[in-house]
This record gives sequence, structure tokens and C-alpha cells, in this order.
Amino acid sequence: MAVHQIRSVVRPATLEEAWECRRSEPGASRFLAGGIDLVLYVPPTVSTLIDLSCLGIDAVRQEGSDVVMGAMATLTEVLESPLVGEFAGGFLRDVLRRVASPLQRNVATLGGAVVRAHPWSDVIPALLVLDAQLDVFDGRRSTVELSEVRARSESPSPLVLTVRLPGASCDGRGAFEKFARTGFDVGVLNCACFAIIERGLCRTARVAVGGTPSVARRLPRVEETLVGKPLSASQIALAAQTAAGVVDVRDDRRATAEYRRVLTAVGVRRCLENLAGLGSEVKE
Amino acid sequence: MRIHLTVNGTGRTWEVAPGDTLLDVLRREGFAGVKKGCGTGDCGACTVLLNGRAVNACLVLAVKAEGHTVVTIEGVAQGGRLHPVQEAFLEAGAVQCGYCTPGMVLSAVSLLSHNPDPSEAEICEAISGNLCRCTGYVKQIAAIERAAARMRESQ
Repeated sequence: MAVHQIRSVVRPATLEEAWECRRSEPGASRFLAGGIDLVLYVPPTVSTLIDLSCLGIDAVRQEGSDVVMGAMATLTEVLESPLVGEFAGGFLRDVLRRVASPLQRNVATLGGAVVRAHPWSDVIPALLVLDAQLDVFDGRRSTVELSEVRARSESPSPLVLTVRLPGASCDGRGAFEKFARTGFDVGVLNCACFAIIERGLCRTARVAVGGTPSVARRLPRVEETLVGKPLSASQIALAAQTAAGVVDVRDDRRATAEYRRVLTAVGVRRCLENLAGLGSEVKE
Repeated sequence: MRIHLTVNGTGRTWEVAPGDTLLDVLRREGFAGVKKGCGTGDCGACTVLLNGRAVNACLVLAVKAEGHTVVTIEGVAQGGRLHPVQEAFLEAGAVQCGYCTPGMVLSAVSLLSHNPDPSEAEICEAISGNLCRCTGYVKQIAAIERAAARMRESQ
């Protein structure tokens, strides 16, 4: 259905132009990436769209040991990229295959998924555990943590240029669990875990839970229980129990807080068991 | 606003409102094979190919098609001859009311152009955004497998 309140679409050729358009009308303008969210949920005050198509921020490339994914790359382009397929055992590729339908993935952009950060987003927990960073522009370029940019409250929020997967995460493995009937459905809860295992011990462990129904967050207390330990059955059970204890869950129309707390334990356990199968043996 | 795009091989210049979706514009310009269903990207009745990729036309603003190539179901047959996917849908009886068929065919065309030998799981995934409320999916999957085999043989 046409979005009748949109009065103009501008197509800036430079980052500076794009930022100036956005900054001059913070309430009435929005950046236009794939556009799905703007068609479905455009805020009533918005009348100008700033199309980012001409800014050349759609490539997926290697930069040193980092994989740098343009914000305007579609989810399909990201998941089909050989660089993403080889990073952390293809963890992000495998998560993106479970997001929405191919029809939507051919339009939705990585930058749009990051900026919109729906509470039920499957992309955000995956990027959080990969320790993703964002290259942003707000009059000047800078690199910020994904969690940091989401915590900012200024308006307008910076223009996301790229999502950067740090090379330090390349040798780890990730696992993802989503509690939904199909990938198309909004999940009741989702969970991502990532580990780098050396000599049978977790050198790095990251755990994120989303759809709680808030947007995904890392669970540092759970990660602390895993670092330096083997992914044994008892350690996994402890991590799952800790996750259920610390996760911040609420009721909504999809599930109760109590049910989400149980699902958190199940999701963390399944993810860690999956990782244990890949990186070390489950003992006990 | 004026947009320039190629639809079914023909260059077009259309005047559109900034908030028009590609679905609105295509149907207004006479491409009635692009069906209007849910309007929220759930049913896939409005599927078209945008630069060779299947998309929900209801979720794409028309201005995003500027300079790009669109194929609708009207542009799939070439020179009066049906596309192998269309032929296979007919032979397999993969049509009932027909409302989902254009979208289903275009998703299959997009799949086979990128993956000539898909598994059944890959076919199911490719048409997972196209809902059929009449027949289910068994005959469509069989049709796409048949079309894939025929297209491989002809190459």
C-alpha cells in the first residue's frame, strides 16, 4: 500500500550531503535503505526519505583480517558472500538463511536490520556475539561497538556505513537457536553463542539472548562462567542455569516471562552443546 | 517524481508519487499479473524479479526501482513460448485458483537462474515466501524439479 505521507525522496551523492539532509530535518526525515520497514511502519511525522543507494556502501570486502559488510548490502548478498561463508565457520551465513523469506532477504539490508534493531531481530544477537563493530558517519567517520550505537539516544542517530566483523572472531564458532515455527515467524525468543576453544578450553565465550521481548543483549555473567573452562556437560548446565537467572524477560502477547526464562536456559544449552560438538567433546 | 526502469525488456519512464510501492505502479501501468495480496510481504502474490532477484513488490518503493530491471509474469514467456517453469506448472497441475501462481513461478525462475540443480529443501526454501491456500505445495515442488531437469537437459 502506498505510503501517502511521503512527500519527497532525495538521493544524495555524498555522505556529507546525506548527513546534512538528515540533520536538518531530524523528525521529518529517515534514511532509506531497503525500505521494508518504512513501507510497513513509517512514523507519522516522516515526509522525506534520504535514499542511500548512491553512496557506494553495498560491498562486502576484506580489510586486513576483518570482514567489512556494506550497510546497503542485502541480507542475500551478505549470506552469499564467500568471505562471510568462511568467517567463523559460516555462522552469520547460517543465521541469515533463517531470517524471513528469500523474497524479503533480497530487499532487506544489513544496515537496515542493524539500525531498526527490532526486538525479535535474529541478526542482532548473531552480530553481538561476533563482536561486530559499526563504521558510522555523523559529520565525521568513526568506529563504534554495535552495542554502543544502539545505546545512544541522540537524534538523529549516526549513518551506519558498514558492519565490521573483527578478524579476532574469525577462528571461533557460533551457534543460534530461534524458538519459532518457521524462519518466517517472529520468534518467541532467540539465542546466539560464540566460542573460541583452545586445547579444550573456552578462550573466548559470548552469549546473547533476544526477543525477551526487548532487543538482544549480551549476558556477561554467563560468559564469565565459560571462559577458561571446558564445554563440558556440567559447565553447559551451569551456563544455562545462570542465563535463566540473569536474563531480563517480560510478558507480552507471544509468551510469558516465565516461559521465556525457561526457553533461555534451553536455547543457551542447545547452542553450547552444538559448539561443544564442533570445538571439543562434551564430557561427563 | 519520474523514474526510469526496464520492465520485461522495455524501457519505461513513469511518473510516481514518492510513497508509491512498485506493486501500486506496476498494476496501475497494466501489469495485472502482479497480484495484490496481503500488502505486508507475507503472501508473495506480488512477487516480481528486480535485477533478477525475486522480491515482494508490495515492500519495495517504486523509487527504489530507478535504473533497474523488473520482470513480471507477463515477461517470463519469450517469443510466444512459455518458460520451462510455466510449462512444468501446467503439466504437473500445480495450479488451482491461480492467484499465487505468478509469484510462485517467478520465485522458481529466480531460483533456477542462480541454482540450476536445487535440492527439494532448496526449492522449499525458495518458495517459502509464496503462500498457496488451495493446493499445498507438493505439485509446485514437483513442477520446479521437472523444470530444473528440463532446463539442465537443454543446456
